Amino acid sequence: MAQIVKTEWLKIKNYPAFWWVMGITALTYPGVNYMFHSVYVQITDKGNAPGKVVKILLGNPFSFPEAWRTVAYFSSLFVFIPAIVIIMLITNEYSYKTNRQNIIDGWSREQFMRAKLTDVALMSLIVTLLFTLVSLIIGLTNRNGTDFQVWPMSYYIGLFALQTFSQLSLAFLTGFLLRKSFFALSVFCFYFIILEPIAVNVLKYKFKSSLGEFFPLEISQRLLPKPAFFEKFDQAAYQATLDAIKYHVAYTILLCLITWGFCFWLNHRRDL
Amino acid sequence: MDSILQLNGIVKSYGRIRALKNVSFEVPAGAVFGILGPNGSGKTTLLSIILDVLKADQGQFFWFGESGGPEIRKKIGSLLETPNFYHYLSAIKNLRITRAISGRGTEEAINEVLQTVKLYDRRFSRFSSYSLGMKQRLAVGAALLGNPKVLVLDEPTNGLDPVGIAEIRSLILELRQKGHTIIMASHLLDEVEKICSHMAILNKGELITAGAVEEVLAGEDQVEISSADLDALAAAMTGFNEGAKPVRIGNSIQLSFPHGYANPEEINRYCFSRGIVLNHLMIRKKKLEAKFFELTQS
Repeated sequence: MAQIVKTEWLKIKNYPAFWWVMGITALTYPGVNYMFHSVYVQITDKGNAPGKVVKILLGNPFSFPEAWRTVAYFSSLFVFIPAIVIIMLITNEYSYKTNRQNIIDGWSREQFMRAKLTDVALMSLIVTLLFTLVSLIIGLTNRNGTDFQVWPMSYYIGLFALQTFSQLSLAFLTGFLLRKSFFALSVFCFYFIILEPIAVNVLKYKFKSSLGEFFPLEISQRLLPKPAFFEKFDQAAYQATLDAIKYHVAYTILLCLITWGFCFWLNHRRDL
Repeated sequence: MDSILQLNGIVKSYGRIRALKNVSFEVPAGAVFGILGPNGSGKTTLLSIILDVLKADQGQFFWFGESGGPEIRKKIGSLLETPNFYHYLSAIKNLRITRAISGRGTEEAINEVLQTVKLYDRRFSRFSSYSLGMKQRLAVGAALLGNPKVLVLDEPTNGLDPVGIAEIRSLILELRQKGHTIIMASHLLDEVEKICSHMAILNKGELITAGAVEEVLAGEDQVEISSADLDALAAAMTGFNEGAKPVRIGNSIQLSFPHGYANPEEINRYCFSRGIVLNHLMIRKKKLEAKFFELTQS
């Protein structure tokens, strides 16, 4: 396993697109949270009556421990950025035909797939570390006095990691099946940003169907609920969302197993 | 001689097209084994199967008497079809990946092979900046990394200039002298004739013939004779032997005999008895090119 990780790192560490996307991700995650935080501060800090009402209504979603959930939700909207690297890393192997060369040089097909699984796990780890760092900074800079607890909702680190791994695995599957980088990137971004959100909401609001919960990205999207102030709009619905998280953990793990099981199976069967 | 590779009844189809039809042969240890065939004859498909890139529909192959697998492939230096490297990495970084996967060679060995294939000065340049010939040389260098005892080279001189071709040829001969086994697909007949000890000829997925080059080319002996009066010689030779059809080629007459039946002494005596003095008499082995066309066009 160490040899696989070392080899993948040799491929990744000199890949300029990896560092570019890492840079963009490192700017986006704090940037987007800072933006929402600034909007919140602008509204609530005016000291006027509407500002006070909004503050009472929203609480402070950027202070601990709520910051974990808020930052996780906003950050999760941008998983498609690291997904670009995952798609590039697998489609590069096909365009350079290095997927064949790795086998010729002595990897088994299973080792090749384990190497790609390592890429996805590594990227999920980096993104999760970034999320953790951003949450800590935002939470610590938005203290409500000295009496606050950092860790009660830190399980959102695990939920964020699982969601990221699941969604990056789906990005990998897209690249693995389509093989052409431009095509795979277009299909994944279109599905992630446009198609699935529309389909889920059409099913939910027009057809009153909960089928959308089981769409590939939505399964893990439900691990990270909206910030707590949404509870004020519909308390029962929000509680139901929180209660459903444990089921979606199971669904997400199952989806990951199916995704990777299929990839390993197909790579073992097909000609390279 | 022990066999390094044994193929038993390999069959491979792409949809309706049968790319390989029941191909079987053995590659002896220490051989330079040329796999010949026109475009689309199944050479690369065959090499892809023995390197586990493609799966055979039927049949088996054995490396060193064992079923193929990752551990066996690590011992084989291979170049299949095109040079396959990470375009954004330099030669040295690409070879580090080859080394990390195969376990062959050391950091110094990387520098040595880069010197062997004359890429040392460009070792830090990105692969994408290389010419076709340089890419091919890097692929040969990757195959040589760690000095593997067996090499599989698919068209190793593709894209190389005449100097590069001569260098690869002498490299292969040098490796052969050191006891390496080299399996090489090529459509350059002259190349194969010069460096191969054994060969197999494929045509439309079928194995036409396989064996030592001497044996494959030994199907016919050709005798070339000449005299001052070529017309008289041609007329005289028509009565010599029914099987030996005289053909006039330039300033000589060529006679073809089944292998082992050409008797220059008898020909000389026959001509002399008819008052013709020969000024040239030579037995020629059939050229590979002629044999190849004969086998693949029929």
